[in-house]
Amino acid sequence: MGGAQAPAMSPPAIKKGMGLVLDQIIFALLNGTIYGLLLFMVSAGLTLIFGMMGVLNFAHASFYMLGAYFAYTLEPLTGFWIAIILSPLLVAGIGILVERYILRHVHAHGHAHELLVTFGLSVVIAEIIKMAYGKFAIDYRVPVELNFAAFSLSGIDYPFYRLFMGGIALAMFIAIYLLLTRTRVGIVVRSAIYRPQMVEALGHNVPLVFMGVFGFGAALAGLAGAVAGAFYTTNPNMALELGVMVFVVVVVGGLGSMGGAMAASLLIGITNSLAVGSNFMLADALALVGLGAWAQDIGGLLTTRLSSLAATIPFFIMLLVLVVRPSGLMGEKE
Amino acid sequence: MKLGPISLAVVVCLLLAMPWLVSGSFLNAAIQMLIAALFAMAFGLLCGRAGMLSFGHAAYFGVGAFAAVHAMNAFGGEGLLPTPLLPLVGAGTGLVSGLVAGYFSTKRTGVYFAMITLALAELLHALAPHMKAMFGGEAGVSSFRMPAWGFSFGSITEVYFLTLAWTLLSIAALYLFSKTPLGSLALGLRENAHRLRFLGYNTHALGTLIFAVSAMFAGIAGALQSLNIEAANYVVLESHISTAVVLNSFIGGVRVFLGPAIGGAVMTFFGHVTSDLTRVWLLYQGIIFVLVMMFMPRGIVGEIVDRFSAPTRAGILRLLGDICLRLGAVAVAAIGAIFLIEFLQRLLSNEYRANVAAAGWPDITLFSMDWSPLSIQPWGFGLGLMAVGIALVVTINRRLAARKEAEA
Repeated sequence: MGGAQAPAMSPPAIKKGMGLVLDQIIFALLNGTIYGLLLFMVSAGLTLIFGMMGVLNFAHASFYMLGAYFAYTLEPLTGFWIAIILSPLLVAGIGILVERYILRHVHAHGHAHELLVTFGLSVVIAEIIKMAYGKFAIDYRVPVELNFAAFSLSGIDYPFYRLFMGGIALAMFIAIYLLLTRTRVGIVVRSAIYRPQMVEALGHNVPLVFMGVFGFGAALAGLAGAVAGAFYTTNPNMALELGVMVFVVVVVGGLGSMGGAMAASLLIGITNSLAVGSNFMLADALALVGLGAWAQDIGGLLTTRLSSLAATIPFFIMLLVLVVRPSGLMGEKE
Repeated sequence: MKLGPISLAVVVCLLLAMPWLVSGSFLNAAIQMLIAALFAMAFGLLCGRAGMLSFGHAAYFGVGAFAAVHAMNAFGGEGLLPTPLLPLVGAGTGLVSGLVAGYFSTKRTGVYFAMITLALAELLHALAPHMKAMFGGEAGVSSFRMPAWGFSFGSITEVYFLTLAWTLLSIAALYLFSKTPLGSLALGLRENAHRLRFLGYNTHALGTLIFAVSAMFAGIAGALQSLNIEAANYVVLESHISTAVVLNSFIGGVRVFLGPAIGGAVMTFFGHVTSDLTRVWLLYQGIIFVLVMMFMPRGIVGEIVDRFSAPTRAGILRLLGDICLRLGAVAVAAIGAIFLIEFLQRLLSNEYRANVAAAGWPDITLFSMDWSPLSIQPWGFGLGLMAVGIALVVTINRRLAARKEAEA
């Protein structure tokens, strides 16, 4: 592209150019990791609930959306910090009500039925949100006191709030891990996943444990929504968009496996953000084998930049995993 | 059941007479109902018969719709096939895309299957805007129905009969399919896939095949849709189409043969009727779905078939009495709930919020009465009716259960 006119780059300039690319890659990796951690926060609750009750909670991403909307509503009244503490609690309350009065009611009809009921709930929640807040994105923003640059590389500022989101997700991950492995409650929960009847026979109230786990998972999703809603857009579609991503994560990672959910979340988060920043197109790859001109002629998908196809990459990863290893990265065989 | 064939014949006659019975705008709704019924039947084959819950059936509907539009535009508008045969194009592309998507999604079963179908549909939806030649970008692809076989296909009546013919043919084909060995194997796949594998069947291939057949009929429905509106836009790939077919089919009842079709037609009808009355029809649809799932797990048609399966004269009268009692009680609760939802919808709407800023809290007109949102009346009225209705339902259920127990 205009190579003849462009002055030859002096060695320091090349070095600087390389540095810029490297910085961009660092940014992309950081963004991807943080997005992945966020995905993990939502998929962790989903996995926990599935592992324990065998219910795939389709409304889980709706809890994420509720978290964001609750925090948006509460923020003017209580301030940001109280809002992001209160809204997960409210979401947990809704989750507990859903488990107690709806899911338990249909439990006898089997897991597919439970999935369908939660699917219906996700529709109802999305419609109620549309009714209450309108169809378009609301103005839920990062609070001013958190809206500053954490550091800057090559003159590009990195927002502190991203690090904040990543930090919260990490803290949550550590908290769940310690809770599940180091406390008595954790032992009961883990054994209730493994052998519910036995745990019940030993005198633990398993339905209560289920209710608690459901509420806890909902609260996690709500917290993720409250924190991330301020940074990303908060609109009635966010549940579906994130929900699909979370399902992809869960298929790739293997349902019921925390480690798998973590690995898949990070994998998808990072590939996604690397792709967003890349100008690569399929025609470039074909050019390597001498088909570049042909690909340029065909146009269409072949000349679409990878950045605009970024949203579809997780799906391709999922298809690949399905072919190579259908049970997921860390899932057990069915 | 001797009633079955007779009522079927009556329904078919009614459908044939429809253009002379109703007005043009309703005939248009009838076409939509037929398409929704066929789409729901395609979904019902996969979900009810083979037990595979797909959340992404809009993809195959959409593929069929686009294929039909492109076929209509082929050869400079001459069309690839005569207009009445165009749904075959939808069927073919639906079948092929179903084979591809089915290969991947039937690699897993149960909830994984559901998630994969959803992801595949979202993949297509995300790709579509980038494939302008195929999906026409924002504007979509439009076309014209060409005259064929002595019909001009310019009037809505002719389109109605075309749609009706294809819908009835497809439903008949689906019925015959359910009688084939493959149809029985679909049932086996739902009931016990393990055992089927032990018997030497390749369950993955079987699942893929049934998925493809279902996608084929979804493709026919999509093609009929684009024949009807003479255009296709990538909105048909959006998730709400997939959602609607799941809700409709299950409200009807997926385990009864005609359940999905009736669910699809009835819900589309209500959607059409209520579209000028309420802005939140989808909310009602969702609530109805959740309630049906909770209290009538077999769906409405399934429940009716189940209750009237072994009728005696005295039994039927009593059953009708019970049902009327229950319906009355549910209606009371429903009126309360509808009042509350509509009141809230008006209270939360942008127009009202603008009014609040300008003129305080004006009254809201609903059910041809004025209600002040700051007084207790509207809330008391709505919640009161709901509470009374629910209490009635609970009492009736208790009474009937007690009677059953006394008889047993």
